[in-house]
Amino acid sequence: MNAGINGNKAFVSKRQGFDKAKRQRTVFLFLAIAPSLIGYFLFTLYPNLMSVYYSLLNWDGLTDAVYIGFENYVNLVKDQFVWRAMYHNLLYMIVVPTLIVFISLLLAYLLNNKSYKENSLYKVIFFFTNVLSTVVIALLWSFIFDGSFGMLNGILELFGFNMNDFYWLGDTRTAFWALVLPMVWGGVGLYVVIFMNAISAIPKSIYEAAFLEGARPMAILFRITIPLIRNVIRVCIVFIILGSIKGFEIIMVLTNGGPEGSTDVIGLYMFNLAFGKEYHNYGYASAIGMFLFVVLVGAKLIIDKFFPEDSVEF
Amino acid sequence: MAERRTLMDGIWRLLLLLWAVSIIFPVVWILYQSFRTNTAFFQDIWALPTSLNWDNYSKAWNDYNIGRSLVNTVYYVGVSLVLGTFLTTLNAYALTRMNFRGRKLIWALIMLSLFLPGINALVPQYILMKSLHLTNSLTGLIILDSFGENVFFLMLLGGFMSSLPRDLEESAFMDGASIFQTFWRIIVPLSTPGIVTVAIFKFLGLYNNFLGPFIYLGDPAKYTIGVNMYQANMKMQYTSDWVTMFAGVIIVMVPSILFYMMFQKRIMEGATMGAMKG
Repeated sequence: MNAGINGNKAFVSKRQGFDKAKRQRTVFLFLAIAPSLIGYFLFTLYPNLMSVYYSLLNWDGLTDAVYIGFENYVNLVKDQFVWRAMYHNLLYMIVVPTLIVFISLLLAYLLNNKSYKENSLYKVIFFFTNVLSTVVIALLWSFIFDGSFGMLNGILELFGFNMNDFYWLGDTRTAFWALVLPMVWGGVGLYVVIFMNAISAIPKSIYEAAFLEGARPMAILFRITIPLIRNVIRVCIVFIILGSIKGFEIIMVLTNGGPEGSTDVIGLYMFNLAFGKEYHNYGYASAIGMFLFVVLVGAKLIIDKFFPEDSVEF
Repeated sequence: MAERRTLMDGIWRLLLLLWAVSIIFPVVWILYQSFRTNTAFFQDIWALPTSLNWDNYSKAWNDYNIGRSLVNTVYYVGVSLVLGTFLTTLNAYALTRMNFRGRKLIWALIMLSLFLPGINALVPQYILMKSLHLTNSLTGLIILDSFGENVFFLMLLGGFMSSLPRDLEESAFMDGASIFQTFWRIIVPLSTPGIVTVAIFKFLGLYNNFLGPFIYLGDPAKYTIGVNMYQANMKMQYTSDWVTMFAGVIIVMVPSILFYMMFQKRIMEGATMGAMKG
């Protein structure tokens, strides 16, 4: 009898234990999920939704917003600065990824397939630019490009070319192309490491077979290495292209779109409309933001269509 | 497979060397120029300093108010790092190791963020922050950067946590541990390698964050170090005080360099993982 009652008691307390654990679980879940999720709703999803609405307003942030329908979009299509910026984006979108992928593939291939004794040190050095902030990268390059005391003109002078204090970022003919250098320089390291990992995943036996067949190193690179890691290359290209559409910090620090708008890109144009020193136009900036959104999604779809994902088997 | 050394090898080695020099040389150049005076620098931009002259550093420290901005940076990066990493760890645990109604929906919502470039949301986000009275405040920036979802971190940490044995929680529960204790005493210690990787990338992102502080901090007394150097550079166009600027840039780079030296291997591993998932 006693045992029965005790058992019952134990059962009851165990039941209570379960209830308590269940309550605790609910509290825990709430505490674990809610802060991040609410922040995500508030700071990410809500602003993204609102940007659609803002793009339909005429609003400078000071006076009251006026609903103007699609007028911002009509202006956008007619705005030659938008198309000029888009054209610059398009050029960067082609030049920067091509250079980054080409250089980092070559460097990764050399680091992986040649056993020079300095290779392990190079890997660490190459990646270093990726831990620097874009501001530091931009400042470094502003010291390189300066007309009077820049490293570039200094080096050219050592080789006998007197540049007469030519300021690379101050001339409409050179500023645009000069900016390619810091973009590539700052990006290569990451892709060297990514490509090195991809290349080292290719079984050694494939290389050995090719070597025994008498294949030359360049033939091995183009016929074996690159085809076998083409999926990785593809992901990297998508990554760099999307980054180059979104990124404008280096340009902002070095030229802020100048001289005469020759380095303006769409993100920077939008940013200056929203947060620049002159007058603000939140509505129009949002419309450009929406346009950029469409461009980004479009770019991704085009890449997916023209570079379909293949499965590769070793 | 024995390699033969040929002429091509010479060219390849030169190429690798050139790329390495293009990275090392500008940094070294700025470092040694930062010990010279402006007059000496303007005369010859290659000459080495005659003595180890720290004046530029104290000048940069005082003129650019680097001390102040460093304190701001430590506050912003430190609090965001601890709070953000803690929240991400909690979140990753609940989303990968616990079953509850609505979990799939939450994942789907989080995955949506991969399609949002973020740039179109800058203006509404600013208006929102303004109406919440969080602009021009480091604490506001901390709130903005700590609360939210990040697919890369969730995948990284979630992947790590789901590789832990399934019956960990069950046996802890049998021993009478509450879920809070289980999380804190068992899951967190076992996930430390993953948490550290997340923290490393949060640190790099926060320390290098420029656009956020630039948009949200208007008061020079609240500048973080990146914004501070940007503004200093804007001013330098009129003062042309080059050597002080060099000293400032070196000061900003020191934390990055030290951090890279400490965590070089993990940074490289994590970066490749992140790129492949993005």
